[in-house]
Amino acid sequence: MAVEEISPPRRAGRARPTLWYRSWRVYLALFAVLLVYAYGWRVTQIRLAELWRGAYLIRPFIGALASPDVVTREQHVQRGTALFYYGGERPAAAPDGGPRLALSKVTGAIGDRVTAAGEGFAPNRRGVLWWENQVGQRQQLGSFTTDAQGRCSLTFTAPEVQGTHNMVIAEVLIGEGPLRPSPTLLVVLDRMVETIFLALMGTTMGVVLAVPLSFLGAKNLTANLPAGGAIYGLTRTFFNLMRSIEALVLAIIFTVWVGLGPFAGVLALGVHSIASLGKLYSEAIESIDAGPIEAVTATGASALQVVRYAVVPQIVPQFIAFTIYRWDINVRFSTVIGFVGGGGIGFVLQQYINLLQWRQAATALWMIAIVVAALDYTSAVVRERII
Amino acid sequence: MSVEVARGEFLIIIGLSGSGKSTLLRCINRLIEPTSGRVVFAGHDVTAAPPQELREIRRKIGMIFQQFNLVRRASVLTNVLTGRLGYLPPAWALANYFPAPVVDRAMANLERVGIPEKAFVRGDALSGGQQQRVGIARALMQEPELILADEPVASLDPATSHSVLRYVEELNKRDGITVLCCLHFLSLARRYGTRILALKAGQIVFDGRPNDINEARFAEIYGEDAIEVEIR
Repeated sequence: MAVEEISPPRRAGRARPTLWYRSWRVYLALFAVLLVYAYGWRVTQIRLAELWRGAYLIRPFIGALASPDVVTREQHVQRGTALFYYGGERPAAAPDGGPRLALSKVTGAIGDRVTAAGEGFAPNRRGVLWWENQVGQRQQLGSFTTDAQGRCSLTFTAPEVQGTHNMVIAEVLIGEGPLRPSPTLLVVLDRMVETIFLALMGTTMGVVLAVPLSFLGAKNLTANLPAGGAIYGLTRTFFNLMRSIEALVLAIIFTVWVGLGPFAGVLALGVHSIASLGKLYSEAIESIDAGPIEAVTATGASALQVVRYAVVPQIVPQFIAFTIYRWDINVRFSTVIGFVGGGGIGFVLQQYINLLQWRQAATALWMIAIVVAALDYTSAVVRERII
Repeated sequence: MSVEVARGEFLIIIGLSGSGKSTLLRCINRLIEPTSGRVVFAGHDVTAAPPQELREIRRKIGMIFQQFNLVRRASVLTNVLTGRLGYLPPAWALANYFPAPVVDRAMANLERVGIPEKAFVRGDALSGGQQQRVGIARALMQEPELILADEPVASLDPATSHSVLRYVEELNKRDGITVLCCLHFLSLARRYGTRILALKAGQIVFDGRPNDINEARFAEIYGEDAIEVEIR
């Protein structure tokens, strides 16, 4: 057996290559990269300290994520009241019945320390102590927890208010009866259904229009048509232009056109889907085996018959896979399309966030996460089955 | 080049890869547009035929391919039925409708090539030889007067090659269908052909009876260094 002599590769003309750290070009490049990132850091205003400083603002939200507003009980308020007058006048007795609230003193001046003691409440509940002034305006004095006997006690400072006739109210919220879905959950579910159907209608619109267009955007099918090159070029340009406009931008345009609501979202998703599905479909058609087309053409079949019997059977599985994939993207996208008024769950999510209703926002977010993950999984399973 | 093929001949075209065999066959039914020259089939000028007439000519010319060219995901029966498309109104294709007599004929043709039990199997579930027999059944659906065979056995083993070529030979002998067939193996060409045409760089270098090809002729067709490979 002959062993071939392995000779080191010849280096024509040049001596040994310089070590990388000896080359000034490396340092120049390094400096350039540093400059780019330094400028990028400045332009995007990265201030890592803000993450720490602002943490308290977002903390309620993190807490809310753990306790989304999903279920509720029949709410019922236990109320105990006591009167407190400024200026020495003796108040009338508080109405009887239900829990009682007694104050350490019933007349006094602004700034007095007063202790409120309640009894007859439900045991071990959180409650709120309110101050209601002469014209019925309330302010919170503090919160308390009742003990095992249903008693509570809280010391507060008599607040500065207009008028002399005031009332101190202790309220304990108790839930009774079976658990039932909270109003938030019902709203969120309702909007989620709207979101899914928004995605369905948008995807359908995309598919219905993209399928015929995709045949015109496939090079191998248009090549034999008169003016085939022009048709191909026009279709592909349309696809590329439409794809380059984000669906969110389209949604804004359509809300101007047809008004706020899910219909604008359907149109935005639809138009965007036409373009991206059309491109994917066209490429699927271009990648098919030309053999069957040749064979069916040779039997004397017309163009329509060739497409039906040689092209369609080859592209159906890919078309289905792409369609499911797109519907998947559209569901995800329709959750944010509401932010610009395109209907769906994004609309309520934005409201909750703007009103700092973190528990409600958490409900919407969890719903989105669960539904999108579930659809993601199903579409993956279905696609695997088909291909 | 100019060739005239008589009805009922089994003409075999040989030559090196790239010598123009496939192009010649595809020019006959205009799967490839000839740049110049004329093709006349049964009195019709194929090269000058408008689309409608071209389709009518094509349905009288069956074609079988090296790669079989079946629709892999469609059933064998559907593949055979596509051979009849030239005779059916195009609109029926939208509903995937084939009349019962056509389906019966497809089953009969599958029986003729010996695989009626595979009718409802997917095209790609068949072996190479079986796929080529489906290809023959598909060509038969056209009731062709001429069959173009583009290296029909190049992807098959020797035993299967013979069985496939025997089906083609039977069509030639019993149904009187003219056959134009590209082949690579001279032994197969001698065994099945009634006439051999040798191409080299698009030119005819031999036209005659199979037995007239001797070593000198062979060297002329395939080049000085070629050695003949036998396949029995």
